[in-house]
Amino acid sequence: MIQVLFFGPVAERIGARQIEMDFRQGLRWQDIYGELRAHHQEAFALVSIVAVNGKRVDEQDDTPLADGAEVVFMSAFSGG
Amino acid sequence: MPDAVRLQLEDFSLDGEIAALRAASRRIGGIAAFLGCARDFSGGRAVTEIHFDAYETMALAELQTLRAQAISRFGLIDARLVHRLGAVHPGDDIVLIATAAEHRAPALDACHWLIDELKARAPIWKKEISPQGNAWVTPHP
Repeated sequence: MIQVLFFGPVAERIGARQIEMDFRQGLRWQDIYGELRAHHQEAFALVSIVAVNGKRVDEQDDTPLADGAEVVFMSAFSGG
Repeated sequence: MPDAVRLQLEDFSLDGEIAALRAASRRIGGIAAFLGCARDFSGGRAVTEIHFDAYETMALAELQTLRAQAISRFGLIDARLVHRLGAVHPGDDIVLIATAAEHRAPALDACHWLIDELKARAPIWKKEISPQGNAWVTPHP
Protein backbone atom coordinates (compact mmCIF):
# COMPACT_ATOMS: atom_id res chain seq x y z
CA MET A 1 0.00 0.00 0.00
CA ILE A 2 0.97 3.62 -0.50
CA GLN A 3 0.06 6.07 2.27
CA VAL A 4 -1.01 9.45 0.89
CA LEU A 5 -1.19 12.27 3.42
CA PHE A 6 -2.78 15.71 3.33
CA PHE A 7 -2.50 18.64 5.71
CA GLY A 8 -3.90 22.13 6.21
CA PRO A 9 -5.94 23.57 3.35
CA VAL A 10 -5.40 20.57 1.08
CA ALA A 11 -6.76 18.19 3.74
CA GLU A 12 -9.73 20.46 4.32
CA ARG A 13 -10.68 20.54 0.65
CA ILE A 14 -10.25 16.77 0.26
CA GLY A 15 -12.09 16.05 3.49
CA ALA A 16 -9.46 13.56 4.68
CA ARG A 17 -5.94 13.58 6.08
CA GLN A 18 -4.93 10.17 4.79
CA ILE A 19 -5.87 7.71 2.11
CA GLU A 20 -4.34 4.43 1.02
CA MET A 21 -3.67 3.48 -2.57
CA ASP A 22 -2.77 0.10 -3.97
CA PHE A 23 0.90 -0.44 -4.72
CA ARG A 24 2.00 -1.58 -8.15
CA GLN A 25 5.45 -2.00 -9.62
CA GLY A 26 6.76 1.14 -11.31
CA LEU A 27 4.29 3.45 -9.60
CA ARG A 28 5.64 7.03 -9.37
CA TRP A 29 4.37 9.97 -7.30
CA GLN A 30 3.31 11.63 -10.55
CA ASP A 31 0.93 8.72 -11.23
CA ILE A 32 -0.74 9.21 -7.83
CA TYR A 33 -0.90 12.96 -8.40
CA GLY A 34 -2.66 12.46 -11.72
CA GLU A 35 -5.16 9.96 -10.35
CA LEU A 36 -6.08 12.04 -7.30
CA ARG A 37 -6.11 15.37 -9.11
CA ALA A 38 -8.81 14.07 -11.43
CA HIS A 39 -11.11 13.51 -8.45
CA HIS A 40 -10.05 16.43 -6.22
CA GLN A 41 -9.40 19.32 -8.57
CA GLU A 42 -10.10 22.07 -6.03
CA ALA A 43 -7.71 20.57 -3.50
CA PHE A 44 -4.97 19.89 -6.00
CA ALA A 45 -5.20 23.43 -7.34
CA LEU A 46 -3.45 24.33 -4.06
CA VAL A 47 -0.69 21.72 -4.32
CA SER A 48 2.75 23.15 -5.01
CA ILE A 49 5.01 20.93 -2.88
CA VAL A 50 5.34 17.15 -2.88
CA ALA A 51 7.26 14.95 -0.46
CA VAL A 52 8.04 11.25 -0.64
CA ASN A 53 9.04 9.57 2.61
CA GLY A 54 9.59 12.97 4.24
CA LYS A 55 11.81 14.42 1.51
CA ARG A 56 10.76 17.05 -1.01
CA VAL A 57 10.73 15.86 -4.62
CA ASP A 58 10.37 17.69 -7.91
CA GLU A 59 8.88 16.94 -11.29
CA GLN A 60 12.16 15.43 -12.53
CA ASP A 61 12.25 12.86 -9.73
CA ASP A 62 10.51 9.86 -11.26
CA THR A 63 11.99 7.15 -9.03
CA PRO A 64 9.46 4.32 -8.65
CA LEU A 65 7.86 4.19 -5.20
CA ALA A 66 8.49 1.29 -2.85
CA ASP A 67 5.62 -0.59 -1.28
CA GLY A 68 4.74 1.23 1.96
CA ALA A 69 5.95 4.62 0.72
CA GLU A 70 4.48 7.81 2.17
CA VAL A 71 3.51 10.51 -0.33
CA VAL A 72 2.37 13.97 0.75
CA PHE A 73 0.78 16.65 -1.45
CA MET A 74 1.10 20.08 0.17
CA SER A 75 0.21 23.71 -0.37
CA ALA A 76 2.71 26.52 0.23
CA PHE A 77 3.75 26.70 3.88
CA SER A 78 2.56 29.47 6.21
CA GLY A 79 4.06 28.72 9.61
CA GLY A 80 5.90 31.14 11.83
CA MET B 1 16.07 20.17 29.74
CA PRO B 2 13.60 20.11 26.80
CA ASP B 3 14.95 19.41 23.32
CA ALA B 4 16.45 22.40 21.49
CA VAL B 5 14.02 21.88 18.59
CA ARG B 6 10.36 21.24 19.34
CA LEU B 7 6.84 21.32 17.96
CA GLN B 8 4.33 21.47 20.77
CA LEU B 9 0.72 22.22 21.62
CA GLU B 10 1.50 23.95 24.88
CA ASP B 11 3.02 27.39 25.44
CA PHE B 12 6.76 27.77 25.98
CA SER B 13 8.82 29.98 28.25
CA LEU B 14 11.07 32.58 26.65
CA ASP B 15 13.01 32.83 29.90
CA GLY B 16 13.35 29.05 30.05
CA GLU B 17 14.71 28.81 26.51
CA ILE B 18 17.18 31.65 27.11
CA ALA B 19 18.32 30.01 30.34
CA ALA B 20 18.89 26.76 28.44
CA LEU B 21 21.05 28.63 25.94
CA ARG B 22 23.04 30.38 28.67
CA ALA B 23 23.70 27.05 30.33
CA ALA B 24 25.29 25.73 27.15
CA SER B 25 28.53 27.71 27.39
CA ARG B 26 30.39 30.51 29.13
CA ARG B 27 31.75 31.64 25.74
CA ILE B 28 28.40 33.19 24.81
CA GLY B 29 28.70 36.94 24.30
CA GLY B 30 25.29 37.58 22.76
CA ILE B 31 21.88 35.99 22.49
CA ALA B 32 19.31 37.07 19.89
CA ALA B 33 15.68 36.04 19.90
CA PHE B 34 12.68 36.31 17.60
CA LEU B 35 9.32 35.73 19.26
CA GLY B 36 6.36 35.42 16.92
CA CYS B 37 3.02 36.30 18.54
CA ALA B 38 -0.62 35.88 17.54
CA ARG B 39 -2.38 39.11 16.51
CA ASP B 40 -6.07 39.91 16.89
CA PHE B 41 -6.35 41.21 13.34
CA SER B 42 -5.20 40.25 9.86
CA GLY B 43 -5.90 41.93 6.57
CA GLY B 44 -8.45 44.23 8.19
CA ARG B 45 -10.35 41.36 9.81
CA ALA B 46 -10.67 40.47 13.48
CA VAL B 47 -8.94 37.21 14.41
CA THR B 48 -10.10 35.28 17.46
CA GLU B 49 -7.92 32.17 17.08
CA ILE B 50 -5.20 30.77 14.87
CA HIS B 51 -5.00 27.05 14.23
CA PHE B 52 -1.68 25.49 13.22
CA ASP B 53 -1.44 22.22 11.33
CA ALA B 54 1.83 20.50 10.41
CA TYR B 55 3.37 17.51 8.73
CA GLU B 56 5.09 16.89 12.03
CA THR B 57 7.78 14.38 11.14
CA MET B 58 9.03 16.42 8.19
CA ALA B 59 8.65 19.74 10.01
CA LEU B 60 10.67 18.54 12.99
CA ALA B 61 13.37 17.11 10.73
CA GLU B 62 13.48 20.38 8.78
CA LEU B 63 13.81 22.46 11.95
CA GLN B 64 16.63 20.21 13.16
CA THR B 65 18.38 20.63 9.81
CA LEU B 66 17.90 24.41 9.99
CA ARG B 67 19.44 24.52 13.45
CA ALA B 68 22.48 22.53 12.32
CA GLN B 69 22.88 24.70 9.23
CA ALA B 70 22.64 27.91 11.25
CA ILE B 71 25.21 26.72 13.78
CA SER B 72 27.61 25.87 10.97
CA ARG B 73 26.89 28.87 8.71
CA PHE B 74 27.05 31.56 11.41
CA GLY B 75 29.43 29.88 13.85
CA LEU B 76 26.82 29.80 16.60
CA ILE B 77 27.46 28.26 19.96
CA ASP B 78 23.87 27.04 20.18
CA ALA B 79 20.36 27.68 18.87
CA ARG B 80 16.84 26.75 19.91
CA LEU B 81 13.68 26.61 17.77
CA VAL B 82 10.19 26.07 19.19
CA HIS B 83 6.90 26.25 17.25
CA ARG B 84 3.38 25.87 18.62
CA LEU B 85 0.78 23.68 16.95
CA GLY B 86 -2.97 23.48 17.47
CA ALA B 87 -4.98 26.48 18.65
CA VAL B 88 -3.41 29.76 19.77
CA HIS B 89 -5.19 32.96 20.69
CA PRO B 90 -4.39 36.65 20.30
CA GLY B 91 -1.47 37.52 22.54
CA ASP B 92 -0.18 33.96 22.68
CA ASP B 93 3.31 33.01 21.59
CA ILE B 94 3.63 31.12 18.30
CA VAL B 95 7.28 30.61 17.53
CA LEU B 96 10.62 31.24 19.18
CA ILE B 97 14.02 31.39 17.53
CA ALA B 98 16.91 31.98 19.93
CA THR B 99 20.55 32.04 18.88
CA ALA B 100 23.73 32.29 20.91
CA ALA B 101 27.16 33.32 19.64
CA GLU B 102 30.40 34.84 20.86
CA HIS B 103 29.37 38.19 19.34
CA ARG B 104 26.11 39.98 18.52
CA ALA B 105 26.38 40.06 14.73
CA PRO B 106 26.25 36.30 14.08
CA ALA B 107 23.54 35.85 16.71
CA LEU B 108 21.34 38.53 15.09
CA ASP B 109 22.07 37.43 11.52
CA ALA B 110 21.36 33.79 12.32
CA CYS B 111 18.11 34.64 14.08
CA HIS B 112 16.87 36.58 11.04
CA TRP B 113 18.00 33.84 8.66
CA LEU B 114 16.35 31.10 10.73
CA ILE B 115 12.89 32.64 10.90
CA ASP B 116 12.93 33.37 7.16
CA GLU B 117 14.04 29.82 6.37
CA LEU B 118 11.54 28.31 8.80
CA LYS B 119 8.68 30.09 7.06
CA ALA B 120 9.87 28.87 3.66
CA ARG B 121 10.89 25.32 4.54
CA ALA B 122 8.87 23.98 7.47
CA PRO B 123 5.62 22.24 6.45
CA ILE B 124 3.35 24.14 8.81
CA TRP B 125 0.07 25.86 7.90
CA LYS B 126 -2.05 28.37 9.78
CA LYS B 127 -5.75 29.05 9.61
CA GLU B 128 -7.17 32.28 10.98
CA ILE B 129 -10.51 31.99 12.75
CA SER B 130 -12.55 35.16 12.37
CA PRO B 131 -16.15 36.28 12.86
CA GLN B 132 -15.93 37.34 9.21
CA GLY B 133 -15.03 33.79 8.16
CA ASN B 134 -12.15 31.37 8.54
CA ALA B 135 -9.26 31.38 6.10
CA TRP B 136 -5.99 29.55 5.57
CA VAL B 137 -3.16 32.04 5.39
CA THR B 138 -1.40 32.61 2.11
CA PRO B 139 2.36 32.85 2.58
CA HIS B 140 3.85 36.33 2.50
CA PRO B 141 7.35 37.75 3.09
